[in-house]
Amino acid sequence: MKLSRLLTVLSLTLVLVVAGCSNGGDTEEDTSSKNNDKTTPPSSEEGLTIAVESNFTSLDPHDTNDNQSYSAQSAIYEGLLGFDEDLNIVPVLAKDFSVNEDSTEFTFTLKEGITFHDGAPFNAEAVKANLDRLSDPESQLRRASLFELVEKTEVLSEYEVKVTLKEPFGAMPNNFAHPAAGMISPKALEQSNQDIARNPAGTGPFKFVEWKSGDHLTVEKNEEYREEGLPKVDKIEFKPVPESGSRVAMLQTGEADFAFPVAPNQVETLKEEEGVSIETKPSLVVKYFSMNTMKEPFTDPKVRKAMNYAIDKEAYIKVVYDGYATQTKSVIAPNTQHYEEQEVYEYDPEKAKELLAEAGYPDGFETTIWGGTSSLKQKMMSFYKQQLSQVGVTLNVVPMEGGTLGDKIWGVDNPEDAELELYNGGWSPSTADADWGMRPLFSSNSFPPDAYNTAYYKNEKVDELLQKGLSTADDKERGEYYAEAQKIIWDESPWVPLAVPDILYGKQDYVQGLTMLSSGVMDLKQAEIVSE
Amino acid sequence: MLKYSVKRILGMIPLLFVISLIAFMFVHLIPGDPARLIAGTDATIEEIENIREKYGLDQPLYKQYMDYMGNLFQGDLGQSIVTGRPVLDMLVERFGPTLRLTLASMAWALLFGLLIGVISAVKRNKWPDHLSMFFAVSGVSIPSFWLGLMMIQLFSVQLGWFPTGGIGGIETYILPSFTLGAGVAAIIARFTRSSLMDVLKEDYIRTGRSKGLTEFKVINRHAVRNALIPVVTMSGLQFGFLLSGSIITETIFSWPGLGRLLINSITARDYPVIQSEILLFSLEFLLINLLVDLLYGFLNPKIRYEEGS
Repeated sequence: MKLSRLLTVLSLTLVLVVAGCSNGGDTEEDTSSKNNDKTTPPSSEEGLTIAVESNFTSLDPHDTNDNQSYSAQSAIYEGLLGFDEDLNIVPVLAKDFSVNEDSTEFTFTLKEGITFHDGAPFNAEAVKANLDRLSDPESQLRRASLFELVEKTEVLSEYEVKVTLKEPFGAMPNNFAHPAAGMISPKALEQSNQDIARNPAGTGPFKFVEWKSGDHLTVEKNEEYREEGLPKVDKIEFKPVPESGSRVAMLQTGEADFAFPVAPNQVETLKEEEGVSIETKPSLVVKYFSMNTMKEPFTDPKVRKAMNYAIDKEAYIKVVYDGYATQTKSVIAPNTQHYEEQEVYEYDPEKAKELLAEAGYPDGFETTIWGGTSSLKQKMMSFYKQQLSQVGVTLNVVPMEGGTLGDKIWGVDNPEDAELELYNGGWSPSTADADWGMRPLFSSNSFPPDAYNTAYYKNEKVDELLQKGLSTADDKERGEYYAEAQKIIWDESPWVPLAVPDILYGKQDYVQGLTMLSSGVMDLKQAEIVSE
Repeated sequence: MLKYSVKRILGMIPLLFVISLIAFMFVHLIPGDPARLIAGTDATIEEIENIREKYGLDQPLYKQYMDYMGNLFQGDLGQSIVTGRPVLDMLVERFGPTLRLTLASMAWALLFGLLIGVISAVKRNKWPDHLSMFFAVSGVSIPSFWLGLMMIQLFSVQLGWFPTGGIGGIETYILPSFTLGAGVAAIIARFTRSSLMDVLKEDYIRTGRSKGLTEFKVINRHAVRNALIPVVTMSGLQFGFLLSGSIITETIFSWPGLGRLLINSITARDYPVIQSEILLFSLEFLLINLLVDLLYGFLNPKIRYEEGS
């Protein structure tokens, strides 16, 4: 073949491939043609484009466990209860509800005249169908644990339903407000039980349109939505954009109207960008490192306290989060229900050394921390290493890939066999309740592999308080139990609690009403495009 | 040739069988419990057990392999543990975007690679050669994540010519295919240069020149064709690599292809998806190798595949 001919053929191929791609591609519409001129906001008909971090996994709320999927689901589904912006529990599909004294019976009165996107009516039967599915162990749903205590759900009248629990569970309203408790159309459940994940039908402000994995997920306005004037945009398109630099670029070019998350080190770039703003909100996440209280030298509370004094949390926040975090003053985050502020361990290396000397370690000791491999996590652990070296403690940093780390910690059946010394962790209670913020981490029933008590912390009083907190739905009483538990844990210091990182998101100035909840789930109902 | 091809294709079956066994073993040997990873960061032990049971992960390994192979022979690649969808659907969905990106990238790469390679061989040790080789060395050594992000900064953010990512019309292909093709173009350019320089020393080239053919004719008609064989082999290999999906380029440009699917499924230990992707990539390589071998015959009729060859 002659060179000239070969080159001609190649040029033609390029043209054909590219032209073929654009026409024969499997996207029906050209999703990228949105105007790139970011000075003009899109119209409400064009709708919003939201750049998110990873792929959605499912649109079946009962079988989902990632916040990002919950965000898309929050457009489509609603629960009986929900969270407002401050994570207070508010009625959504329920008009109101009552609880009996020992918090085993929850009676809901439902709002009337609501229909699902597929036309099925929302009533007590629909609620029963959903709760029966969630509480049936046979259905093997990912969020079954939230409703495993449900013994039965009874239809009292067309708009009244009673849920009976096997045992008292005071945090149950939080479980009803959890995004996993979204109500799915009973018709859809019957027709495509397994396939709800890709054929969702709820009562929410937006209806599902299409989902191309890895490319986009689109929802459109539910014209029959019960609240007057809502939703205010006709369409929302979610785009998974894994690379954080690309998400920022999309805000800069106007391809995205909203982007979450934004990495702290990219905030400066966006601050200079006209028409784009960065917003922050404290999350529910508590960053900490735990100390194995069954292993020397961490059996001694003095050593654990010394570790707390040895770490400068303000510096940690600057180094790791570029300042986008707040120092944590309890083992749960301030937005978590029944949070009680404690007296902080101010940075005091001298005091740390004294405590170590008192505990019999005047020259310090050597220990090892395990954690993830992301650059952020490695930065954290290097920071501890530097800080602890100031008080004579030599820290070996061992970063491990997620799966390996999980095996090393949760593959251990007996606490005595645990090799774990220090663990660099973070926890976010998805129900926003103190119970889920503490029980999996500090109850003696929560040692790995059952749950997440990586400090192997055991205190009978704490166990008792956590149990008491569950046995009543009385908020005041629960508050007292959790306050006491927080104080005991804080004093005994099985952790070095560090910070509550901010949720960082970027948006075009014309986007209003769209926010992130502290739980990391988007609130899309009020989203609108405000052009001047 | 047909007979030869059929024979080669039949020969792939036992090979794929062995690959599937190796893939299965390796995937299951990586530490990490898929059920725990997939159940999420605050799952209860019951939820983890549920997933284990639902996807047969509680079965002994040999049983899992038998089930996997049994289903495979019926054309069923299993279900993704993460999304619960049939793996085949997922692969089909992701293959198209990767294939189209690969074709566009290869077209760039061959166009520029051959052009640069030929120019620098002909103008050996003169400034066009130095300039071309400067680009070739840069193309090989610049990491694609850097190139990709720089292209986004320049062409999307500053100039506003192309979108930052995603799949759609022609304009969405330009940046990712160029990023992906740059490295391959550089490799092809270097291969073409050295191969063509060897050919240009041959006697028949001197004969051509001495009988008064123009330099253009000598190169265009006689030299390039003979220089192409090693270039074709190399391009075939590169094509295979690109067809496995580029993790970095697909991530930077939010491209819904096989590379991103692979990295996501490895992180989540989504065994059925990882296994099937490995199998698919192996099949792609085997087929491309066959294609390359057949191309030899086309380029140089002296190489023929007769029975027994």
